[in-house]
Amino acid sequence: MRILIVEDDAETNRFVARGLTELGHHVVTSADGRDGLFQATGDQFDALIVDRMLPGLDGLSLIKALRAAGNTTPALMLTAVGGIADRVEGLEGGADDYLVKPFAFSELAARVHALGRRPATQTEASVLVIGAIELDLHRRTVTRDGRRIALQPREFALLAELMRNPRRVMTRTMLLERVWDFDFDPKTNIVETHLSRLRSKLNAGFDDDAVETVRGAGYMIRS
Amino acid sequence: MIQLWRSTFGLVVLVAACFALATLVIGVVAYEVTHEALEIQLDHRVAIETHALIDEGDDGPTGVAAAIRRREAARSTASLDYLLVDPSGRGVAGLLDATAPITPGYLELLHYRRDGEHRIAQALTTRLPDNSRLVVAADRGVIDEMDATLLKLFAGAFGIMLLLGIGAAWLVGAVTRARLSRIDRTALAIIDGDLARRMPTTGTGDEFDRVSATLNRMLDRIGGLMDNLRQVSSDVAHDLRTPLTRLHNRLDEALTTENMDDKRQAIEAAAAQSRDLLDIFGALLRIAEVEALSPRAHFQDLPLDQLVEELVDTYRPDMEASGHLLITAIVPQIGVTGDRRLLQQLVTNLLDNALRHTPSGTTVRVELVHDGAVARLTVADDGHGVAPEDAPRLFQRFARAERSRSSEGHGLGLALVAAVATAHRGTVSLLTPPGFGVVVELPVGKA
Repeated sequence: MRILIVEDDAETNRFVARGLTELGHHVVTSADGRDGLFQATGDQFDALIVDRMLPGLDGLSLIKALRAAGNTTPALMLTAVGGIADRVEGLEGGADDYLVKPFAFSELAARVHALGRRPATQTEASVLVIGAIELDLHRRTVTRDGRRIALQPREFALLAELMRNPRRVMTRTMLLERVWDFDFDPKTNIVETHLSRLRSKLNAGFDDDAVETVRGAGYMIRS
Repeated sequence: MIQLWRSTFGLVVLVAACFALATLVIGVVAYEVTHEALEIQLDHRVAIETHALIDEGDDGPTGVAAAIRRREAARSTASLDYLLVDPSGRGVAGLLDATAPITPGYLELLHYRRDGEHRIAQALTTRLPDNSRLVVAADRGVIDEMDATLLKLFAGAFGIMLLLGIGAAWLVGAVTRARLSRIDRTALAIIDGDLARRMPTTGTGDEFDRVSATLNRMLDRIGGLMDNLRQVSSDVAHDLRTPLTRLHNRLDEALTTENMDDKRQAIEAAAAQSRDLLDIFGALLRIAEVEALSPRAHFQDLPLDQLVEELVDTYRPDMEASGHLLITAIVPQIGVTGDRRLLQQLVTNLLDNALRHTPSGTTVRVELVHDGAVARLTVADDGHGVAPEDAPRLFQRFARAERSRSSEGHGLGLALVAAVATAHRGTVSLLTPPGFGVVVELPVGKA
């Protein structure tokens, strides 16, 4: 992937750029809002990582300007802690995802991958099929190898989220955000608990595990 | 000029001037009306007298003259004056010392002399059948006297209004200035650093008292925030020293040890330690943000019963897995106005606490009821509870009761609960022992 990082903090910029380069991405960096906008419009990228606070032009305005110009490159906005309103503003301003600093690199990488493969316009199919698992969003039913599996609403939502993102690691916080709509991390491991219940229901009577745990990163549906 | 009217003094002067002007207008109108009425009355009197004379004298000048003489014999100062002249203009009868008007009818100003004094009368001239003229005159002195009295009266009233107005203006201005300057002095004293000073109130509940009371509430709030800030600064310094020390020690260990496995372990521990620190900062910043009330701008109506229900469902597996018994009593259709994520975090923190700080076998009760204008959420458990001395500061940052000291946590969960409740114009309180319970009351919005 070609990724543009617009971040004025040299330390963060270097840390993110190095990590993404190691994962095999082509990374371009910028430390200034205006320069970032210039780069983003002048070149083709698969994903943008933009800090909220930037000299020259702030991140939100940068993304707004890009969107106004018809540029739909997926953008991940970085922000300092706090900012309850920032999140809403960022997403409304055209950012596709939002990550609060400080973050673990694995979290950022997972989100960037999720962004990069997200189709530009998405009309969701009502039936998701990954391997032998079939999930019907309308009838709210799940089958594995044709065998009906009864799930609680949260477990269903969790599985749906994993199946919407095949071959992508979903981190704990991503799942908390998307399944529970939490923007905080509860002390109790609700994701783990729900996932283990989901897993045991999915795997009952089967030999192979339908959900893969990626150590230190998150979960992924096995295809 | 505009500036003057904006001052209290100017305003009162303006009002006083308006009143004086109104008095003046009323005076002029009353004067005119009275004056006119008196003239009409005089005309009327003269006309009646003329008719009486003519009736008594049978239209003949001789008879009229006799009637005039009879009246003049009994005259008094308030009497009318008479004059009868023959067609050639010579006086026949009557003491009125004036020239008889040629044309018959009313004459408003008839100049005549009485006792050598020049006077003015109102007269009615009537032509008798033999062409002699009868003049009946009423002295206008009455009207003039009345006019003069009225004028004096109104001039006096006008003057008094003006004086009263100016006096009131001065008084109101002086009182307002005095009271405002007390508020001003207090404000200056507060600026100078006497932060405990409060605006003076007289206890009468008047406008000044109300403004002072509001200002005092504002000052109390600011004072509370400042105290809070001080408290937080020192808490942060104290409570972060321990994890920072641990972090430092771990890193030190990593640097000194030669064993690669130990090194790795120490670094991992240090990384966990720093994550922990970042969590603390995150929680502190979030509390600070909620306390600044900035989320209020994004509040919307949301169903609290559904929100609580969903979170309870989310926690049920964990509760069951750890041997807790979760019982719920959630009244449907309870709405509040607020921030969904903050309320989620409020409920989550309470459930987290109940789950993590109580032993297996504990019953956790979640209750949501509608009580008048209040939605009351109770999350209680029948665990060990907290020591009474810990209770008062439990909603403050870094407050950790004995029961939670053994389990992990930073003592920020309940502080955030309190901050979120306050941001939603609600309150938090503790249930009385046995057990432990937090009651959150929020104003009810649309369901």
